[in-house]
Amino acid sequence: MTKIGDRLLGLSLLVLALAYGWGSQQWPAPFGTLETVGPDTFPMLLAFALGITSLYLMFKPDPDNEWPNKRAFFELAIGVVVLFAYAGFIEILGFIATSILALSLLSWRMGAAPKPALLVAAICSIGVYLIFNNLLSLPLPSGIFEVN
Amino acid sequence: METLGFLMDGFAVALAPQNILFALIGAFVGTLIGALPGLGPANGVAILIPLAFSLALPADTAMILLTSVYAGAMYGGRISSILLNIPGDEPAMMTCLDGYPMAQKGKAAEALAISALASFGGGLMGTVGLILLAPMLAKFALSFGPAEYFALFMMAFATLGGITGKNPVKTMVAAILGLMISTVGMDMSTGVQRYTFGVLKLFEGIDFILAIVGLFAITELLLFVEHHMDGLRQQIKVGKLSLKWKEIVALIPTTLRGGFLGFIAGVLPGAGASLGSFIAYTLEKQVIGKKGHFGEGDARGIAAPEAGNNAASSGALVPMLTLGVPGSGTTAVLLAMLISLNVTPGPLMFTQNADIVWGIIAALLLGNFVLLIMNIPMIGIFVKLLSVPTHFLLPVVTMVAFVGIYSISHSTFDLKFMVVFGIAGYIFRKLEVPIVPIILGMLLGPEVEKNLSHALVISDGSWAILWGSPLAISLWAFSIAGLSLPYVIGPLMRMRMQRVKSKTTEADND
Repeated sequence: MTKIGDRLLGLSLLVLALAYGWGSQQWPAPFGTLETVGPDTFPMLLAFALGITSLYLMFKPDPDNEWPNKRAFFELAIGVVVLFAYAGFIEILGFIATSILALSLLSWRMGAAPKPALLVAAICSIGVYLIFNNLLSLPLPSGIFEVN
Repeated sequence: METLGFLMDGFAVALAPQNILFALIGAFVGTLIGALPGLGPANGVAILIPLAFSLALPADTAMILLTSVYAGAMYGGRISSILLNIPGDEPAMMTCLDGYPMAQKGKAAEALAISALASFGGGLMGTVGLILLAPMLAKFALSFGPAEYFALFMMAFATLGGITGKNPVKTMVAAILGLMISTVGMDMSTGVQRYTFGVLKLFEGIDFILAIVGLFAITELLLFVEHHMDGLRQQIKVGKLSLKWKEIVALIPTTLRGGFLGFIAGVLPGAGASLGSFIAYTLEKQVIGKKGHFGEGDARGIAAPEAGNNAASSGALVPMLTLGVPGSGTTAVLLAMLISLNVTPGPLMFTQNADIVWGIIAALLLGNFVLLIMNIPMIGIFVKLLSVPTHFLLPVVTMVAFVGIYSISHSTFDLKFMVVFGIAGYIFRKLEVPIVPIILGMLLGPEVEKNLSHALVISDGSWAILWGSPLAISLWAFSIAGLSLPYVIGPLMRMRMQRVKSKTTEADND
């Protein structure tokens, strides 16, 4: 069993702690306040605490969890791309179209048969759209289905 | 008697038609969320927050909705424990031990009814405990100064990993990261822009609602995408209910014991509902001894943990409402709702927002009756919904999360930000860094900093004020205990849970 995960986590946290601490020293001292407590007091405390814990993680790491294999990693990448595309296209194509695409793709990649996946996605997307637009009057983008 | 008057006012709030409606919806949705494997109570409450927020519900209604969901989830968790041998949520794990064997013997309907009754008993006891204890604790908390508050917050973080937690250092890392996120944006007291990098979106700070939804809903989706955990589920048929009055009466002492222990476990920081049901089950086994047949479908083995976890869930509201310090993931999410409603949790809430506090408490009391009614005759509906496969459920949950976040801000930037939090959450879960302390850090960050600065201003910069009073010292002592106990008790308890579990699987194989 390797322990590289925690070591890497520790290292990146240490870098974060240093950057965060350094960042807190760059702010101009606020005008006319006492020097005892400034905007940097709390961040410095946090940077210090994170520095210590990150060192601990590097020197006493836990054994790694099982990392995704190639196939799972590929599936994850698809999932992430779908989620970003969902967020990116929701205003362009409209809620119904993007939701149907995103939901059916996700369900399918998670193991549903393509046809039921499409059907469930369509029913839920249209249902939620109608509920939100008409019942709750929280408008969702209609996009290409816009009716004027 | 003062309490009684407040409680009456609370009923007046809870019985407003709109609030009754949302309590009913919440109880139904909550039971559903609890029942569906793969959708925990914290996750369920989290995706409802943006909806409650964008519907612009009044504060009391929003909180009544979410606490009903919370209470309902505790009822729902048992259904899949009994019928599928898969706990719907973590606290329902102990219910598997006797619930599933009992269902295998063809007494599924009885097991479900007993567990509903025990949940009712436990929930009622927990709520009564909440009514008695919370005002007292709130009065006591009024004597806290900034140094004591700072120590209290540290204790909340230190004990959050729970005494079953694996690596306390990772709990600390998570809490620090959460606190760091909370410092992004304009500094409250001086107006200095901190860590905004000139990005306008960051000037107001990072919205914790989208972080919470991302860390729960999106992370859960990604974990499922990786694992495809949807194996074949063997669901047991529910027969006709035949439960004698005598059998119910015989379970009353068990329910009382379980409820009492569960409530205490719930109030204590770092324990929560999982521990409540575990202790209740273990003690019941000790009390009954050889006379019982635990692990083979003893009714007492269902009643004890169910009473325990429902009492604990009410108990966990005590520190959340009186001190503003939640002890579990779900209560942390409830706190997020309170904060975004501009209600400052803590002892002052009992005087300044008495209608909300007592409205919630009265709604919990009523909710228990509603849930009991819902869970005995309507059990068939929930049982049917159990067969919804996770590969349909989680994408729909994701859609609801998207809709909720989008309705708040109408910003696709926020949606992408939420996805980023989801990915970060996935990596953290893989590295066994807990998520809840991150959220708690984000929520409590401003309060932690405010109290620290106040304390330091009072003492003119001397840090010794933080441990300057006996109360503060004892809070620090608790924190240290909270961080060191996992090294002692954690492995011990996991071992025992494992042993109990392997025994039941052996029994299955026979």
